Amino acid sequence: MEKLLNELSSECQPAYGVECDVAINAQVPENLKRSIPLGLPSIAENDLLRHFTNLSRKNYALSTVFYPLGSCTMKYNPLINERIAGNDAFNNVHPYQPIETMQGVLEVMYELEKDLCEVAGMDTFSLQQAAGAHGEFAGLLVIAEYFKSIKQKRRKIIVPDSAHGTNPASAAFAGFEIVPLKSEPDGSVSLDKLKEVLTPEVAAMMLTVPNTLGIFEKSIDEVSKLVHDNGSLLYYDGANLNAVMGIVRPGDMGFDVMHINLHKTFSTPHGGGGPGSGPIGVKSFLEPFLPVPRVEKKKDKYVLNYKKSKSIGKLKAFFGNFPVILKAYAYVKALGGKGLKNVSEQAVLNANYMLAKFKDKVDVPAGDRCMHEFVLSPKTLLKNDIRTIDIAKRLLDYGYYAPTIYFPLIVDEAIMIEPTETESKETLDKFVNVVNKIILEESCQEPQKLKDAPINAPVRRLNEVEAARKPILKWE
Amino acid sequence: MDYTSQNQKDKKQMLESIGVGNIDELFKSIPNHLKAKDLNISGGKTEQELLNYFLNIASKNKKLISFRGAGIYDHFIPSLVGEVVGRSEFWTAYTPYQAEASQGTLQVVFEYQSLICALTGMDTSNASLYDGATAAAEAALLALRVSSKNRILISSGVHPEYIQTVRTYLANSKAKIEIIPLSGNGRLDKKTVDSLIDDNTAVVVIQSPNYFGVVEDMDSLSSAIKSKNSLFVAIVNPLSLGVFKSPREYNADIAVGEGQVLGSSMSAGGATFGFMAVKKSLEWKMPGRIVGQTTDRDGKRGFVLTLQSREQHIRREKATSNICTNASLNALAACVFLSGWGNAGFSNLAETNISKARYAFTKIKSLDGFKAKFENETFFNEFVIETSKNIKKINKVLLKNNILGPLDLSNAGDGFKNCLLFCVTEQRTEAEIDSLVELLAKI
Repeated sequence: MEKLLNELSSECQPAYGVECDVAINAQVPENLKRSIPLGLPSIAENDLLRHFTNLSRKNYALSTVFYPLGSCTMKYNPLINERIAGNDAFNNVHPYQPIETMQGVLEVMYELEKDLCEVAGMDTFSLQQAAGAHGEFAGLLVIAEYFKSIKQKRRKIIVPDSAHGTNPASAAFAGFEIVPLKSEPDGSVSLDKLKEVLTPEVAAMMLTVPNTLGIFEKSIDEVSKLVHDNGSLLYYDGANLNAVMGIVRPGDMGFDVMHINLHKTFSTPHGGGGPGSGPIGVKSFLEPFLPVPRVEKKKDKYVLNYKKSKSIGKLKAFFGNFPVILKAYAYVKALGGKGLKNVSEQAVLNANYMLAKFKDKVDVPAGDRCMHEFVLSPKTLLKNDIRTIDIAKRLLDYGYYAPTIYFPLIVDEAIMIEPTETESKETLDKFVNVVNKIILEESCQEPQKLKDAPINAPVRRLNEVEAARKPILKWE
Repeated sequence: MDYTSQNQKDKKQMLESIGVGNIDELFKSIPNHLKAKDLNISGGKTEQELLNYFLNIASKNKKLISFRGAGIYDHFIPSLVGEVVGRSEFWTAYTPYQAEASQGTLQVVFEYQSLICALTGMDTSNASLYDGATAAAEAALLALRVSSKNRILISSGVHPEYIQTVRTYLANSKAKIEIIPLSGNGRLDKKTVDSLIDDNTAVVVIQSPNYFGVVEDMDSLSSAIKSKNSLFVAIVNPLSLGVFKSPREYNADIAVGEGQVLGSSMSAGGATFGFMAVKKSLEWKMPGRIVGQTTDRDGKRGFVLTLQSREQHIRREKATSNICTNASLNALAACVFLSGWGNAGFSNLAETNISKARYAFTKIKSLDGFKAKFENETFFNEFVIETSKNIKKINKVLLKNNILGPLDLSNAGDGFKNCLLFCVTEQRTEAEIDSLVELLAKI
């Protein structure tokens, strides 16, 4: 067990210090002065380094294990991108320095926007949003402003029940009312049900393609026509873009607004929960509503344009998560158009290969083929009170991070697997064998092993109920 | 380079196992008329080519000695921060959904929450938000959730991009936003605040030190806010808390701010993180991830994501926020940053900022054509100077000498014509400040 920082704190010489080369002159009036103790630990650098290094070793990370986390696209994060983003010539740029002195930053943003347009079939992109959900929120605000500008009252957003939780949350956050849409068992859209909910108040429909069960939306043409005939717009959740780069483009499918998760499809690391980046792409009629500033090119110079009277405003301070944008752009320049297409082909090949090895043994509610990910439902195989959570925890004992579980919500005991294109056949083979062994053999013959799992992880199974019932949210 | 792993032999075997002849068959479900043409995107660079390509782009940014702040600051980042944040076990991990396999990230977030609570004096912190601006917006939304009132008062001393972000976030809500003007001394006047707060005011948002560098008298403002039962959101610079009153001491309900000053580089304004800490009574209303301590089956201490029934993956449209990915790695940087100073060292860091800024302030205001805008006010590391000189010329001359000069406040509203916002952190040496003053004297 690793100590907490407050337990490590001692009377030692702390790790950092500062020397002031002018006279200390920090008299502050009593009424403005802090009078309670700071409560910060005092720890030597050597001990701090050990503390954090030891903690890092308690993480299963992409750099140490296979991370088949469905919907999260945990692909290899190229080291060269980190090296490029580590350059102080990028890191030391102040957002308010004159644009002549930050042309490198603006060039990267401008060029990435252009390349994303080509991948997505959209007319323009904004890179300001800090994450996928932030992108969804921005995209929905753009939709709201658009309808305001043409004086239509449309307050509803259709969200399929197979969608990511952020979809309905973002729509509510943007002030819309959510119309849930019941999906077919394979997660695809039921055209009849869609017709029932397409009322004049519907502003847009949010759709994930391929859907969260890993299936391409076969009626996308019909869906697009129905939605647009109703005067509504179509929103593309780009969480699954890794399946279709260079194969099919959201813009060509009829989507009007979309977001991309650079920290999924474009290989930027997830950082244990961010920072991410959620660029939004739109068709040209929605361009006036994008967040400010816009990066533009005038002759050979990149400039920032804040004068957009119809803009939804600012989604955060400054321009976006620049280092993430930079790493994504480096990724695009490594791969180019051909490489990006190859990525999607390999991602889909890997997923189908794994699926082929599972399909005769474990239920696959969405059928025998998939795009870049698939969902297993082991429900009928599980006896002895074993559940999907037990399988996930047992996988940790075998040195794997667990797949996404209990999502999508429409599949019982769901196990959602996304291998990505950067895993070898050997890795996939081993993983499939282990999962099959756990589900088909261990769960019947040695159920207690699953119930007791994990036994090889840094801690045994943690009590989440206790954590929520009696919250301890900081050092006591 | 495309970082894929299969060779031709593997691919062939895999296709055979699937039962298809080629990869195209895997995309049969996509209608042919929708299939994309070849993407017109240049690339295919090797690692070495990439490095050179980006060194060339990087050379188009100029390295400057910064006397500019206004929300993003040039502070020293200890080597330990880079070392820890650079560990791939941290940066290549996902959001810690599988707690037992994510104890590193989870304990770090728990420590981070503890440190933010220590600094602010507040009861509960979340795991981080995107940045200071979105943290301010989320704080306003939180206040609206717990209040039946719908009026929001925001100090005009709040960073203008934060105010814009709050407006964007609340664009489709029922909230009415009103701006409280600053008084002539660059800060809020209690009487003005008193007169603007009414029974329908849900929340008052105040930044200190404010955008113009002035430290607000949060105590007296707080009593005005509390007398009308409104909530008090304090936007604070966490480094300044080494000297100045913490949000708890003036009874703020929600403390938020920009975390870049705690170990993140400027990076053109992001990626950074926003922090949020609240009174105990508001913790179930907070947005974002929260980590809690618990025990494992052997009774051993461990950490999990908790209070999750607030969040989008459980509650969907009824969640307290849509936030999912936040800014975990920047929060880790803050955790490493905050754990190595000790109380005295951290106060000393704050005092060094004050002292250097005051040193520069005293010298600059005594130059011909320059005077203090708010002579008798207390500031942290930023201050406003009014000048009779041409501001464009000032910054042009400074830039020629590789100095990023003060921010031109001409567009910051009435009363700031001919004004400059200077920032001096612990990074600036006496020699650098002296040469800045010399250059200004010659203009």
